[in-house]
Amino acid sequence: MLDRAAAGKVTVISAPAGSGKTSLVRAWADRPGQRYRLAVLQVQRDQQDAQQFWLALLDAVRQATGADSGAEPSAGTPDFNGPAMAGRVLSELADARDGITLVIDDLHELHSPEALAQLTRLLTNLPPQVHAILTTRHDVRLRLHQLRLAGELAELRAAELRFSERETRELLDASGVALSEAGVALLQQRTEGWAAGLRLAAISLVGHPDPERFVAEFSGSDRMVAEYLLAEMLDRQPSDVQDLLLRTSLLDRVNGELADLLTGRPGSEQILLELEDANAFVESLDPERRWFRYHHLLGDFLRLELRRTLPEEVPALHRRAAGWFTVQGQVINAVRHTQAAGDWSEAARLLADHSFSLTLDGQAQTMQALLRAFPPGADHPELALVRAMGDLAQGRLDEAAAYLAVAETYAEAAPPGRQRRLRVAVASLQLSLARRRGHLAGVIEQARFLASPVTGQSDEDIALGSDLRAVALMNLGTAEAWTLGLPEAPDAERHLREGADLAREIGRPYLEVGCLAQLGFASLVLHSFAATQRRCREAIALAERHGWGAEPVIAPALIMLAATLIWTGEFDEGERWLQRTRQALQTDTGPDITLLLHQTAGLLHAGRGRHHEALEEFGTAEYLGSQLADSQALATRTTRWLPATQARLGMTGEARALLATLDDERARSGEIRNARAVICLAEGNPAAALAAVADVLDGTAPVLGYVTVIEAHLLAGLAHRQLGDQRAASQAAERALALAEPDRLVLPFAMTGSRELLEALPRHQTAHGALLADILDVLHGSSPAAKEQFPSPTEELSPGELRVLRYLPTNLSRPEIASELSVSLNTVGTHLRSIYAKLQVRDRSSAVQRARELRLLAASRTR
Amino acid sequence: MDPAPTLYMIRINGHLGATVLSAFPALAPQRHGAHTVLTGLLDRSALYGVLAEIEALGLDLLELRKLTPDRTSPEPGHHHSP
Repeated sequence: MLDRAAAGKVTVISAPAGSGKTSLVRAWADRPGQRYRLAVLQVQRDQQDAQQFWLALLDAVRQATGADSGAEPSAGTPDFNGPAMAGRVLSELADARDGITLVIDDLHELHSPEALAQLTRLLTNLPPQVHAILTTRHDVRLRLHQLRLAGELAELRAAELRFSERETRELLDASGVALSEAGVALLQQRTEGWAAGLRLAAISLVGHPDPERFVAEFSGSDRMVAEYLLAEMLDRQPSDVQDLLLRTSLLDRVNGELADLLTGRPGSEQILLELEDANAFVESLDPERRWFRYHHLLGDFLRLELRRTLPEEVPALHRRAAGWFTVQGQVINAVRHTQAAGDWSEAARLLADHSFSLTLDGQAQTMQALLRAFPPGADHPELALVRAMGDLAQGRLDEAAAYLAVAETYAEAAPPGRQRRLRVAVASLQLSLARRRGHLAGVIEQARFLASPVTGQSDEDIALGSDLRAVALMNLGTAEAWTLGLPEAPDAERHLREGADLAREIGRPYLEVGCLAQLGFASLVLHSFAATQRRCREAIALAERHGWGAEPVIAPALIMLAATLIWTGEFDEGERWLQRTRQALQTDTGPDITLLLHQTAGLLHAGRGRHHEALEEFGTAEYLGSQLADSQALATRTTRWLPATQARLGMTGEARALLATLDDERARSGEIRNARAVICLAEGNPAAALAAVADVLDGTAPVLGYVTVIEAHLLAGLAHRQLGDQRAASQAAERALALAEPDRLVLPFAMTGSRELLEALPRHQTAHGALLADILDVLHGSSPAAKEQFPSPTEELSPGELRVLRYLPTNLSRPEIASELSVSLNTVGTHLRSIYAKLQVRDRSSAVQRARELRLLAASRTR
Repeated sequence: MDPAPTLYMIRINGHLGATVLSAFPALAPQRHGAHTVLTGLLDRSALYGVLAEIEALGLDLLELRKLTPDRTSPEPGHHHSP
C-alpha cells in the first residue's frame, strides 16, 4: 500500500489514534530491498517550539545522510531564524547522494504555526531524490495545494488502513493465535478492522486458554473497543507490572531508574524490557533500550486510570519526578512536573533561575509555553523576568520594560543568595533593551557591575552564574561597542574578549560567536581595515561551523565585513556579504543594525555610481536613524551621505534644505562640511566648496575618522580642477592617496567621482602608483553602464506569462488571478510553471524578487 | 459568539467505562442502546478541550449537538450581515 502511496513526493497518512500509521511506515521501511535511507522524526507531545522541532528534524536528516559525523552538533540559539533553518534542512537533503525518505510521525502534535509554515515550504521544495511521509491524527494546516495540483501528493486515510478479514487472519497467525474463521470474522467486525484494537486483542489472545470464548465475550459487549481491550490487557499483568505502568504513566518517557523511584521498588528496567518484548504497547527509544515510551492510547488510558484510582498520590509522584529531572539538569521536564504537582511558586522559581540558560539552549519558545501553563491571576513576581525575555524576543519593547521594572523591584527584596543573580539578569536584559531602542546613554554606567564575577556556592550556582556572566559580558561589551566611541572602545574589547573566553570555557558556542561577532564589529574604532576584516572572518568561520552563518548573532560581523570590503573597493565580494547580512536580519533584530545595512547598501551603490539607488538606501537609513532615541553616533554617520547624494543627482535644493535642519554642532562637523562642498560643486561654485572643506583640511573641524579627511582632499581637488588649477588638484589627489594608502581605501575616490582627477595625475608624480592603478581599475569597472548585475533570462517571457507575472506581487490567489484575467485556472497554472522555469525560481515570492531585479515588473514592459 | 456556557449533547459509539468517563468530569453520561451520550454545559474552549480528549482517546464520535436555542439570532426587522 505504501509503495503505491510513496511514489509521490509527499505522502500524508491521516487517521485516528491507533490506526496503525506508525506500524505501517515501520513495516514499509524495514521490508527487504528498501532503497531509501530513512530520516525519522517523532514530533514531541504538544510541541510549541519551532526551533526544537527544526533541530530535531535537522538531526534526523543528518543522521540519515551521515552528515553528522565530524560536524558540530546542531545547537539551539536564542534568536531562531525559521526560514534559514528550513533552508539548512533543504540543503542537507539536497546534498544527500542516496534517496531519502523523510518520515515525520505525529505531526498533529506540532502546535507552532511558524514551524508549519516553514514545513510547507520544505515539502513543496523537496529535492528530487527525497520524498516525505507524514502521519497525523487529524488533517493539519499545511498548504500543499501546489503538490496536490501537480499530482505529487498521496493521501492515505482511515478507511484504507482498516484490516480486512484476510489481514486480520495474517496478524493473528503472526502472533501465533489460532482462531476459527468465524472467530476472525467476529473480531474484525467488532474492531471494524481498527489496528490498535486488533493488536490489543492479539496480546490478550496469546496464551489465552479459550480464544473463541474471548472473542465471543468481546463482541457481545457494548463497551468501547479500546477500553475493553486495554482493561483486558492490564488485568492479565501481575500486580507489580500494573502498578509500574500506572505510576509511570505521567511521564512522557520512562527509564528503569525513574520507574524505580516512582514505584518505590527496584527491578523496573527488567519489567519494561519484558513488556517491550511482549509487544505490549511499550517501546524503547534508544538502541541501548534504556528509555521507553508507552503507546499514546495506553499512556492516555493509564493516566486516566491513575487519576481515578490513586488521585491523592498524583502530586507526590510528579514531585518525585521533578526532583529527579532537576538533579539530571533536565529543567524543562522538572518545571513541567513541578507545575503538574501544583507547586506553582517552586515552578516559577525554577523557571526564572534557569531562564538564561534555557534561552541559550534554544528553548525560548518552550519556556514561553511553560509560562502560559501557569494559572492566570495568581502571578508570581519571579516570572516577570521570563516574561520580559519573551517580550524582548518578540520586539514588544514597552512590555519588556514594564516587566523588567517589576523584576527589578522583586530582585531588591530577594534573599541575598539569589539577589545578586537576579540583579545581574535584570541589568543584562536592560542593556539589551537599551540597545534595541538606541537608548545607550546612562545605561552602561549602571551596568558596569556586570563585569565582575557572580559568586555562588553550589556547582549548579556556578554553572548558572557562568551562563549569566557570559551573557552579561556580551551585552555590556556590545552596548559599549555600539556607542561607536573611542573612549569606550578599549572597555568594549576587553569585555567582549573576556565574554568569548568564558563562553568557550563553559561550552556556550552561541555566546562565543556572539562576542566575537561584536568584537569584529567594534574593531574598526581601534584597528586597521585589514585587522577588522580578519576578525570578522574568524567570527563568521566559527559561526558557520555551528550552522549559524546567516543567523542574527553573526550579523554584526557580516555587516562590518561587507562594509570594509566595500571601502577597500571589493564591491562584488562586499555585495555578497551584504546579501548574507540581509538574510541574517530577516528576523527583527532592532533598528540599529538594520540602519547599518541600509547605509552600507547605499555606500555600495554610491561606489558603483548608482546614485538613485544609493539615495533610496540612505533615505531609509536616515529614517531609521530618526527612530533611534539618542544614538547620535549612528545617526550622524548616516546623515552625511544623504545630502551629498542628493547634490550628485542635481537635487541641490533638497540637499540644502536638509542641511538647514541640522543643529550647529552637527553642521560644524567635518562630514557635513564635506556634504556642503559636494552641493557647492554641483551648483558650479568651486570657490565655496574650497571654503567649506578648509576647516576639515586644516584639522579644526571635528571628524568621525580619517576617511572624512580623504574625502575633503578629493573634494578640494575637484574644486581646483573646476577652477582650472591642475597643480593644486594633483596635490590634493596625492594627499588623498597618501592617506588612503595604509588601508588601501578605494570607496572615497569612487563616491566623489574622482576618476578624471586621478587620471589627470601624472604617474611619475605620485608615490602611490600601485594603489592608484588599483583604484582606477575599480573606477573603470564600476561605471553604471558597464555592470549588468543579473544576466537576462535565457528565454523571454511570453505576453501571457507577463500578464500573470504582474499579479504575483499582489495577494490574489491563483483562482482570483484567473478570474481577473478571464482565463482558466489551468492556464494560470501553466503560465506560472513556465515563469518559474524561465526565472529559475521555485516559488512565488522569489519569482517576484527575481522579476523586480530583471525589471520585468515595470509598467512599460508588462503591456 | 456567546461566551456563556451552552448545553451540549455528545454521542459516542460504545459504552464508556469508568476510566474513560473520568476524562469528562464536566459531562453527565447516559447509555442509549449501544451508545453513550454525554451532556453538559460547556463554553467554547471547554468544548474544544472535550473534542481533543475524544480524539486522543480514539473515541468514535457519532454526534455533537447544541441543545439550547440560538439566542443570538436576529430579531425581526434587524438584518445582520453574515
